[in-house]
Amino acid sequence: MSSLLARFAGNICWLGRYLERAENIARILHVNETYGRDDPQGPDWRRVLRLYADEERFDESHDAAGAAEVLDFYVTDRGNPGSIVSAIGAARENARSVRHLISTEMWTHVNIFASEVRSLTARDLRLSNLSSVATMVINGCQTFEGIAEGTFLRGEPWSFFQIGKYLERADQTTRILDIGFDRLLLDKDDAVATVQWNLLLRSVSAYHAYRSRHPDVSRPHDIAAFLLYDTEFPRAVALCVKRMTSLLRDIENRHGSHGVAEVERARRSLEFSLDTGPGHQLTPTSLHAYLDGLQIELGRVSSVISEAYFR
Amino acid sequence: MGTATDKRPLLAEYNSGGFYCEMFGRRALSFTKEIRRRLNGLDIAALRHRARNAEKELFNLGITFTVYTDRDAIDRILPFDVIPRILSPDDWRTIESGVKQRVAALNAFLHDVYHKQHILKDDVVPADLVLNHEHYREEMRDFDVPHGTYVHVCGTDIVRDQKGNFRVLEDNGRTPSGVSYVIENRHLMMRAFPDLADGVPIADVDSYGHQLARAMAAVAPKGVSDPTVVLLSPGVYNSAYFEHVYLAREMGAPLVEGQDLVVENDKVYMRTTNGLEPVHVIYRRINDDFLDPEAFRPESTLGAAGLFRAYRKGNVTLANAIGTGVADDKAVYAYMPRIVRYYLDEDPILENVPTNICRETNGLKKTLANLDKLVVKPVGEAGGYGVVIGPRASKRELSKVKTLLKSNPANYISQQMVNLSVCPTLIGRAIEPRHVDLRPFALTGDSTWVLSGGLSRVALRRGSLVVNSSQGGGSKDTWVLV
Repeated sequence: MSSLLARFAGNICWLGRYLERAENIARILHVNETYGRDDPQGPDWRRVLRLYADEERFDESHDAAGAAEVLDFYVTDRGNPGSIVSAIGAARENARSVRHLISTEMWTHVNIFASEVRSLTARDLRLSNLSSVATMVINGCQTFEGIAEGTFLRGEPWSFFQIGKYLERADQTTRILDIGFDRLLLDKDDAVATVQWNLLLRSVSAYHAYRSRHPDVSRPHDIAAFLLYDTEFPRAVALCVKRMTSLLRDIENRHGSHGVAEVERARRSLEFSLDTGPGHQLTPTSLHAYLDGLQIELGRVSSVISEAYFR
Repeated sequence: MGTATDKRPLLAEYNSGGFYCEMFGRRALSFTKEIRRRLNGLDIAALRHRARNAEKELFNLGITFTVYTDRDAIDRILPFDVIPRILSPDDWRTIESGVKQRVAALNAFLHDVYHKQHILKDDVVPADLVLNHEHYREEMRDFDVPHGTYVHVCGTDIVRDQKGNFRVLEDNGRTPSGVSYVIENRHLMMRAFPDLADGVPIADVDSYGHQLARAMAAVAPKGVSDPTVVLLSPGVYNSAYFEHVYLAREMGAPLVEGQDLVVENDKVYMRTTNGLEPVHVIYRRINDDFLDPEAFRPESTLGAAGLFRAYRKGNVTLANAIGTGVADDKAVYAYMPRIVRYYLDEDPILENVPTNICRETNGLKKTLANLDKLVVKPVGEAGGYGVVIGPRASKRELSKVKTLLKSNPANYISQQMVNLSVCPTLIGRAIEPRHVDLRPFALTGDSTWVLSGGLSRVALRRGSLVVNSSQGGGSKDTWVLV
């Protein structure tokens, strides 16, 4: 039995990443729209651009940053590599290149899903419709996950698929948290803030999970700590990192080696940052800097993994 | 809901238009009886409905080839016709033994051409035809390939004439494609029409991947007991990529691209997550020219530098071998009946389409005298370029080709026009006759095995004899009855 081709390890990892990315873009657009419902000025779509550090790129080709422009940019714009249609398209191309390694059902699903997403038009992106488009995208990504869970051989390809997913998810959770704190900690009105915190939790399917930990009240630092450090909630950064670590060990065991030193170092450094984070002493500024730092660490892990295994 | 006319038997108005019909032909009537009865039990609306579902399934399964434009990538399917093409056990015995014979002759010819060249010295095949051939590889001289097998995978294009006799149109001994459609068409057919095939004894086509893996393992370099076989593809942008994926999966072999291979000390390795791992057999789906930028085209990025050296050292086997192109073109094709007799001392089981070799006085004379009835083909061209179809040509075209023939007769062959057989085919709301051919696939490691049936391509345009997918061709499931 020969080992997995390096190029395919990369492609499978990116298959996982792109699907996770598309799902989270959909979640973020949805939650941003929901936030804006109570705002007389409507949702601030620049916030999403800031979140993904896309402002400059966006402004080069757009005069306004209204709902129509930003939604097009993030959903249907094939020229934007960070749009849902590009991410799903890239997921499909990656799946196509490793089609002999994944199950037929996985391939068929992503193939049909990609053509559904490709057929979305500006009409589908009217605000009244956004919720159902977001749901369609999220469901499509989650269905893929489910099919993979039930049909994908638990070998090396599976490990890289999962690593891609967790890397991307951890990164996206930090971004969603960032968008929430950016706005919410400044909000004076507690009643409104509570509603909005709950929306943020719902956007990452965390509302009920959080409630079971904190049945009384939604407090910003509890929420932040939950999304960062919980080790049972599947979208919490700590859980993603824990899973990724154990998957990396599986790969090392499979190769019968002691692991690649750089991967080990980057992973430990990320774990250290999580262990020594500001925890409950969060302020908007410290949180923002902290999340930025985590994103950089995640990026480093990603690049050392690709250096060690994908070439 | 079907209208009154829909209730008439499906094939009631079918007329084969004077061509030999695969379903209603003299030889076919007895063994297609049951299938015709079942087809007649379906109405056209139901047939169309099922056909549409089948095509949709092809899209969903991504059994497609991609056409790239500046802005977009468009997925196309090879159109699939739902009415199967049926071969009797007798038909199949003829084809199977004929294909095996032909593959044996091709391998013997290639071995000879790349060693002692007896056939050229005996003047059975003109030496200049072979030695000046663009696909002749002097680098292959005196190199021994495992089991003497050059053509491991062969696709033989066969047509049926007016009388129902099989004739070979072309041997594809380089990197023939299409086998994945044979197998996928069968799966599709069994899902869409379980009732049509129920209880009919049809030879299965599922063992191709296994047989391919066996053949590849059989030609591994000496001393390698558990060889690593890989499939080398040009990548996702190749129109046959689906097939490469399919075959790699069926063989359980890694699907590699040139960028995944490294040659060190004349040994071939692939880059894996665990470092470099050795490769012993490469089923390559790229042409000779692109295999190794050191040995062939320097600009190629599809192959691996040093691959040819590793091959010549016997450290890796390539399937098909390098230099097989010399045996699979029109010029050599014309000599195939003589090649079969020369090496095997047997008469060909499958005849060529009657062919005149214009470099021979007699062949030229016959060609010039019957220009309006014959098809004239330049031997060096591929893809139908420069072909003049006598019965359809103008006087001017005929006189032009006459001049060309006289000035350079060696560049031409001429063939009788073959009235390809037809098969009932769903066209719009009717069942109409359409011309078909057949490409069986033969695998050779230490012996030759032929996949039952093969790819039946169908020319979907009325009156067209061109079955190529780029020119309106589709495919059908091919049933070999056992």
